Amino acid sequence: MPAIFPKWTNRLPAMLIVGVMLAGGGAGAGIWYYFSPKYTRVGYQPIQPVSFPHSVHVDQLGLDCRYCHSAVEKSWYSNVPSANTCMNCHNQVLKEDPKLALVRDSFNTGKPIPWVQVHKVPDYVYFNHAVHVNRGVSCVHCHGQIDKMEEVQHAKPLSMTFCLDCHRNPGPNLRPPGKVTDLAWMPGTGGVPMDYGAKAVTNWHVNASQNCSACHR
Amino acid sequence: MKTIPPPCPEPVSGIKYWRSLDDLAQAPEFRQWVEKEFPQGVGEDGDAVSRRHFMKIMSASFLLAGFGLSGCRRPVEKILPFSKMPEGYVHGVAQYYATAMPTRGTAIPLVVKSHEGRPTKIEGNPEHPDSNGGTDTFAQASILGLYDPDRAQRFAKDGNNVTREAALDFLTATAQRFAGNGGAGLAFLLERSSSPSRVRLQAELARKFPSARWHVHEPVDFDVHQAAASALAGVAAEPYYKLDQAKVILSLDCDFIGAEQDRCRFIRDFARGRRVNKPGDAMNRLYAVEGLMTLTGINADHRLRVPTSQVLAVAAAVAAQIAPDNAAVTALAGRFPLPAGVKPEWIAECAKDLLSQKGASVVLAGYRQPAAVHVLANVLNAALQNVGKTVSYHAPASAVASALPLVELARSLNAGQVDTLVVLGGNPVLNAPADLDWATTQRKAKTVVRLGYYEDETFAASNWHLPAAHYLESWGDARTSDGTLVPVQPLIEPLFGGLTELEVLARLGGLPANRSHDIARETFRGAVGADNFEDKWKKFLHDGYLAGSAAKPLTLAAFTPDRAGAAFTAAAPLPAPGKDNLEVVFHRDYKMDDGRWTNNGWLQELPDPITKIVWDGVVLVSRKTAEELGLRSAQQTEREHGVVDVVEIELNGRKIKGPAWIQPGLADYTVGLSLGYGRKRDVKGGTGRVGHGAGMYNAYALRTSGAEHIAAGAKVRKTGESVTVASTQEHGSMEGRPIIREANAEQFKAHPKFAKNMDLESHTEHLIMDPKTGMPKMIYEHPYEGYDKRKGQSGKDLSQQVFKSDTHQWGMSIDLNGCVGCSACVVACQSENNIPIVGKDQVSRNREMHWLRIDRYYSGAREKHHNEHVDDPQTVVMPMTCQHCENAPCESVCPVNATVHDEEGLNVMAYNRCVGTRYCSNNCPYKVRRFNFFDFTKRPLGELYKSPVTSFNEGEWEVLRWWKDPEKSSRPEDEWELLKLARNPDVSVRMRGVMEKCTFCVQRIETAKISQKVKAGASGDVRVPEGTFKTACQQACPAEAIVFGNLLDPDSRVSQLKKQERDYSVLGFLDTRPRLTYLARVRNPNPKMPDFREVPLNIKEYWDQQLGEPYAEHAAHSHDAPAHGEKKGAH
Repeated sequence: MPAIFPKWTNRLPAMLIVGVMLAGGGAGAGIWYYFSPKYTRVGYQPIQPVSFPHSVHVDQLGLDCRYCHSAVEKSWYSNVPSANTCMNCHNQVLKEDPKLALVRDSFNTGKPIPWVQVHKVPDYVYFNHAVHVNRGVSCVHCHGQIDKMEEVQHAKPLSMTFCLDCHRNPGPNLRPPGKVTDLAWMPGTGGVPMDYGAKAVTNWHVNASQNCSACHR
Repeated sequence: MKTIPPPCPEPVSGIKYWRSLDDLAQAPEFRQWVEKEFPQGVGEDGDAVSRRHFMKIMSASFLLAGFGLSGCRRPVEKILPFSKMPEGYVHGVAQYYATAMPTRGTAIPLVVKSHEGRPTKIEGNPEHPDSNGGTDTFAQASILGLYDPDRAQRFAKDGNNVTREAALDFLTATAQRFAGNGGAGLAFLLERSSSPSRVRLQAELARKFPSARWHVHEPVDFDVHQAAASALAGVAAEPYYKLDQAKVILSLDCDFIGAEQDRCRFIRDFARGRRVNKPGDAMNRLYAVEGLMTLTGINADHRLRVPTSQVLAVAAAVAAQIAPDNAAVTALAGRFPLPAGVKPEWIAECAKDLLSQKGASVVLAGYRQPAAVHVLANVLNAALQNVGKTVSYHAPASAVASALPLVELARSLNAGQVDTLVVLGGNPVLNAPADLDWATTQRKAKTVVRLGYYEDETFAASNWHLPAAHYLESWGDARTSDGTLVPVQPLIEPLFGGLTELEVLARLGGLPANRSHDIARETFRGAVGADNFEDKWKKFLHDGYLAGSAAKPLTLAAFTPDRAGAAFTAAAPLPAPGKDNLEVVFHRDYKMDDGRWTNNGWLQELPDPITKIVWDGVVLVSRKTAEELGLRSAQQTEREHGVVDVVEIELNGRKIKGPAWIQPGLADYTVGLSLGYGRKRDVKGGTGRVGHGAGMYNAYALRTSGAEHIAAGAKVRKTGESVTVASTQEHGSMEGRPIIREANAEQFKAHPKFAKNMDLESHTEHLIMDPKTGMPKMIYEHPYEGYDKRKGQSGKDLSQQVFKSDTHQWGMSIDLNGCVGCSACVVACQSENNIPIVGKDQVSRNREMHWLRIDRYYSGAREKHHNEHVDDPQTVVMPMTCQHCENAPCESVCPVNATVHDEEGLNVMAYNRCVGTRYCSNNCPYKVRRFNFFDFTKRPLGELYKSPVTSFNEGEWEVLRWWKDPEKSSRPEDEWELLKLARNPDVSVRMRGVMEKCTFCVQRIETAKISQKVKAGASGDVRVPEGTFKTACQQACPAEAIVFGNLLDPDSRVSQLKKQERDYSVLGFLDTRPRLTYLARVRNPNPKMPDFREVPLNIKEYWDQQLGEPYAEHAAHSHDAPAHGEKKGAH
């Protein structure tokens, strides 16, 4: 009686197992990478209704972050400036520029400018700007070199791991509170010792909590 | 990678996963996609939207949506900043405003929290000279009333919508019409108020319309206190009690803890008078004489159970002993013999005790009692030399000189003398005495103008209906009971354009200043003068009171026996109730008041402090009465999970039906009826969707003028029907377990450590002791205890390790001597923590969601006949919430680490981790964990069991609605939009399938820590100082019984309290090490009284069940005593 199944079918189960493992592993790896905030968030760069180049305002003109984001030291929320903040300068500079039409419009009519949100943590995460900024964590650690950006881009993943990495070892990310908005600042410059952060952790009683209650309420 | 969003010409509000078809058609991705297959213009025939075009757009939108190319990765959200930033505004930082909640004749001073312009939480104003920051349940729940979707939202004429302008024009026209004839035919019906502005406007209107008639109606009227004092003194005078100065208090059916006006102040003073820190501290003694079982009764040291109508006889007997030479009093005592069953020794010893504390005693009479009892109380206070000490008199705040009662208004309406009736507030069609037939009577006026918060029963009988503004939307003023002037300051513009009472009065008077802001300012100008007015006004609004404006005490002439005698002779005796002559007592409900809170879900779901019943009004009867009527027993009801008999009550030919509830401690042959239930919602007006159908009966249907509080001659018949009543505590006995530990003051003196010497932990050997600490050894290592930063552990990598915090360790202490069971904390917790309402059906399945509950236990003297021990029970209450155990049983069983400890000693819940196994709840010995069986927040209560696939709401399938916008709820749009506003943004709103419980208000802890760290900056000053913040329950507690703080600070109040000898933990023998411990209760009974008991009854149960010698001194953890082991089980 001839064999119904050809000989190669003997290896079929093994091939299937290997195949499924490869496909499963591939899918897993794909999800691992493509569904992680590192891929989904980093690089997100929506076009804003008004093209506001941070590079011009901060890097070239030297505006401090807190001129516009004035609530960052007081509130959990770092505000996007209202149109009247823009108009403080732009009622004299680039008065008629068509790119600023929406700003002038907003200032005159009271209609808000619909900025597109770039950085956002989920609703169940209670992140607080004030406590970080006042305790020597610079904007740059979470937002990247915003001062060099033409259009704001999501620079860091802002995932739970991202937060915890720093909360487990806050030392390297601490600097004198006066330098938090100096995005180019490096430890060891301006007479600040290299181990400034490590010392600050002890001296300031920095207890970056790793408990659920720190962020989830 | 650049993602190019669609252009945004208009600001869009809300979250959208994909845009409208028009938007999409302009999107570059879409254009690109279209152009590949169909070059532009091909196949188009010039129509703006051809069929083919439509199909293209549709398929494109589905493709984009399905693959989630732009939408699913993350929703594109917009940030809409101000165009011009309001000065001083910081987004994300809550603001607080001082205001006050007006109550009938007084006000509760408040500080209200506002998030981004919406008020979210009510707190008391501790700065106010006569407030400690405590509030009551009504004040806490009032914020939900602001966001009530059923509140009146429109101006209406004969039920049809009219514009606001038309309504205001009508008011102006009315003003002009009556200006000619001096107000003849104009009648006003008002509620009581302490507002000086209203007094001023009333005076101005009375000048303009001298013939207009003014009436006041309150179904539960506290004016009797003032009326009796004024009648006795001969001048307008209002009594003001200072209970903290009193050593002996006699309450004559005066439920000052639960049902009297101004109860938070009474509770504060009463609790202060009972506070003990060490054995031998003096505390007050409360005698209560009452028929119903009230909060005051359960807190009394001696309670005399007599029918409510017989309280006068008891009062007269006491008075005859105290003032034997007052002829009027002795005559009264002669006319009213002591009711059967009252021991004369009780009266004699009570009187002796009062006499022994002359100047430090006080006698209070309740609003239910007739004028004679109130006069008697005043006479007694004078005879006991209490005036000027525990009681003072001052000029009443709400002086409405010519206000007539409702009966007078009915008379003039029936005589056809009323052309225009102006009803400001109130709900007379619901709550006027039944014999006045108010729905018909009110119609006899040609025009009825009504300002109302709801389109309720009175709405249907009015011509013009004006929506009233909530007090959080109003400008105004009020006086607290000490006479201090407080502002009523709005936190938000009227949501539906409502008017205030002041505005309506001003417009009806044709006054030039008709905005309530201007009116309140003008009144204030009159009070403080014009110098520096703006500064004074600003300070007034900032502080929330005008300093030094408290009323000056009046010096009254001695009360003459003539005036007292007149009140006494007017008192007609009511026959003692019997089986065929039952006595009906109508009482202000602890939750619904007189029906004004019927549509408030928080109050509906709040367990009644005594019966623990939710969403229902019951017919209260005593055990004996129930037995004689053949009703099923309390035990049977308990077995059947709340099934009770329905009875029919007949009073003077009027009948109602309601569920009978056997209440321990109720006087026999008394029927207690709650006001405010049994209301319906229909098209013509009524209560709202929440209150609709809550409770079987409407007690107002039996209530007639002259017998508003006590009515004799009722008959009760068992109907044979039965219904289920939802109660959160079916079983009211501790069965001898020392959950609440008590002692009499003398025992506390003799055995100061009594609380520590009860239960197993004091004398068993099942706990392995740690020789170093002398404490029981932990069953497992504390997650953070084992690693001490300073010591370090050799060979371990400590860089990744979390340590127990050496800055904060949180703890709470609850003083059971202070807690009176008022339940303000329960509502405060619900408001602060976004706790959902679940409805009667779910509560009857034990699925209530309250994080904090008040347990109420009865204990009776069992030496009597086996059933009778519940008739005169001792009652104790205990706030029970998550104990934040250090050895938490819930944590060790959670398979997903959703509930874990944090380094500051909190037992925290991570909702996102929770998969809903409910193991934690099973393993919690305190039963304080709550599970979200449904999405209670998003689903209407009636549709909890409906699948979203089969529900069709507002013209759309539910599942489709959800797909489009997962943030949306199945609730009607109006309800959802309003209810969202009431939420606290600092606390996650939990979804279905997760466990939740008390967090010790972790959001407040974190906020305080963050503020301190912000302040600390580059320094190490990170410890939150004592007193920076309070938990919601602690803040609301008028008795100051709840204290929360840092255990590492030896000077913090909580550390001090935990050092007291009365400190104990509940179920301590389980070695759970709760962070929440209790201070044992101390009673102060009079040993000479006939009902004196050597040992508090629940401790006697403990004793009788041979669980231990309650007050024996066990040498703490005395394992070294060899004889002990042999005795085990023997004691």
